[in-house]
Amino acid sequence: MSTVVAPSTMRVTSARRRTVTRAAIFVAMVIMAIVMLYPFFVMLIDSFKTENQYLAGHGTSTQSWHQLTTTMPVYQQLLNSTIVCTASIAIILVVGVMAGFAFAKLQYRFGNLVFLGMVSAMMVPLQAILIPEYVNVAKFGLTNGYLGAVLVYAALGTPFAIFLFTTYFRRVPDELIEAGICDGLGYWGVLWRLALPMALPAIATVTVLQFIQIWDDLLVGLLFLQNPAERPITVGLAALAAGRTTSIPQLMAGSLVSALPAMIVYLGFQRFLVRGLTLGIDR
Amino acid sequence: MTTSPTLSLADAPRRARRPSTSLLTRRRRRVGVLLTVPAFVLVGLLIVYPIGQAIYYSMTYWDGLTTTWVGPSTWWQALNNPTMWRALENNALLLLSVPFALAIPLAVAVMLHQRVAGWKVFRSIYFLPTAISWVVIGLVAEHFFAYSGTLNSLLGHVGLSHVHTDMLGSESTALIALGITFVFSTIGTNTMIFLTGLATLDTSLEEAARIDGAGSWRIFRHITLPHLSRFIQLAFVMTVISAFSALFSLIFVMTGGGPGYSTTTMEFLVYQTGFNQSQFGTAALYGLILFFITAVVGIVQLRLIGAKD
Repeated sequence: MSTVVAPSTMRVTSARRRTVTRAAIFVAMVIMAIVMLYPFFVMLIDSFKTENQYLAGHGTSTQSWHQLTTTMPVYQQLLNSTIVCTASIAIILVVGVMAGFAFAKLQYRFGNLVFLGMVSAMMVPLQAILIPEYVNVAKFGLTNGYLGAVLVYAALGTPFAIFLFTTYFRRVPDELIEAGICDGLGYWGVLWRLALPMALPAIATVTVLQFIQIWDDLLVGLLFLQNPAERPITVGLAALAAGRTTSIPQLMAGSLVSALPAMIVYLGFQRFLVRGLTLGIDR
Repeated sequence: MTTSPTLSLADAPRRARRPSTSLLTRRRRRVGVLLTVPAFVLVGLLIVYPIGQAIYYSMTYWDGLTTTWVGPSTWWQALNNPTMWRALENNALLLLSVPFALAIPLAVAVMLHQRVAGWKVFRSIYFLPTAISWVVIGLVAEHFFAYSGTLNSLLGHVGLSHVHTDMLGSESTALIALGITFVFSTIGTNTMIFLTGLATLDTSLEEAARIDGAGSWRIFRHITLPHLSRFIQLAFVMTVISAFSALFSLIFVMTGGGPGYSTTTMEFLVYQTGFNQSQFGTAALYGLILFFITAVVGIVQLRLIGAKD
């Protein structure tokens, strides 16, 4: 009798312990969620206050939102961010796809060496070459207009894109390419019609990663877009904050506006981000 | 090379017409070269060439208008500059936050991996700050740590109103506030890395250990943690490199490098020296030192990954 009861009570206690553990985990995750959502709470709550309400700690108002466009040319800055992101990503994709295809499938002398050099360029932080970079871009008068910043972003993003595309194109079977050549497609045709469709997930990953990276960046926009009318929104926000004269509720409203596009892209394409981050070890 | 040792110049053209380099192969190679040219030019001109320029600039005195060649002695001057050592010290101190930037995400990832109710929602919430700019995080953090900010009102709520902190305003605590913000900013990415690692873990191994009577901690210590080692390495290297080269936005918004030089890191010093003090030569040199440090970290990473493959 006792031999029958003992295991069943054990099972009951272990099941109960399991429930308690899972409940504890759930509580811990809720607390963690509050911590991680804290910036969003702050932006939302504080942006719906006037400066006096913010200092007093209570009350709500939509005043900061109404005044936001006079403090910060929000629409122009959103447009600037969009232009810079789109142009940079377009260059990164075109240049990266071509080079990735060449490194993976069109082996030529020293090709592997060039590939290695490209991948190593991923390791160079912009700050390390900031001074000569700025001097060069300024020398060509490119700190006015979008082109300077676009080229810098494109150069910074290209090495990783090449790495990703090369890894993807290596999976395309050689036979498929040979068949395409025999059918008279030529290498261009093979690249655009056969290889490219297979690399669509990689294209999505690069686009999403670079969009968030460039949209959120400060340093390049701050230095390489000297004309205030061409400032991206993140730079505009940082410039306002550095001035230390803008009211906090308005800064929070501006923060929320600047954060929204990247958040939407992130929520919509989460899985491509994860893939890009862990590529190279997860195979 | 199958050519005979008595190879003469006259043989050269014949060698080029070897059957192995057929017309098709040569065309393939030519297209290959052509397709790499744009990337080569872009990366070469905007990333590789400036490294060479930086070496030259680092040996000049340059106030933004006139450049004077000085030579390698500039390096000795820089190495005797206390501000640079202060910046390096700040970088070293910031590295103390790396264990937290790994341990917290590891705990979070393990919790998520238990798949309790709503774990997918929690996962999205934890990753969400990854999408927003460190400019925005810095702005929020600044008002969290400020004298009239959230931290002090929280302390007040728990009956500690006499402890009135001003973390960003004091030389001794500003770096700590920066470090905490940095850890917060890395949680999303590192959790993502660890969660991917956990997803590749063979659950039957855990089951077997559990049946054998191993406790949760022993399973974590002896099965989960060793399995995650590569992912921990990746997260470690990425976090260290970020600590050296991604804090610019946070520093710019939160402290501007101050008070004094208490939150000036190497990357911020490059910016300050170049663009606030117009000492382009010295700034280029600081950039090279920064490059050297991140390159060492990167090479260590490549060796670690290479050793595994």
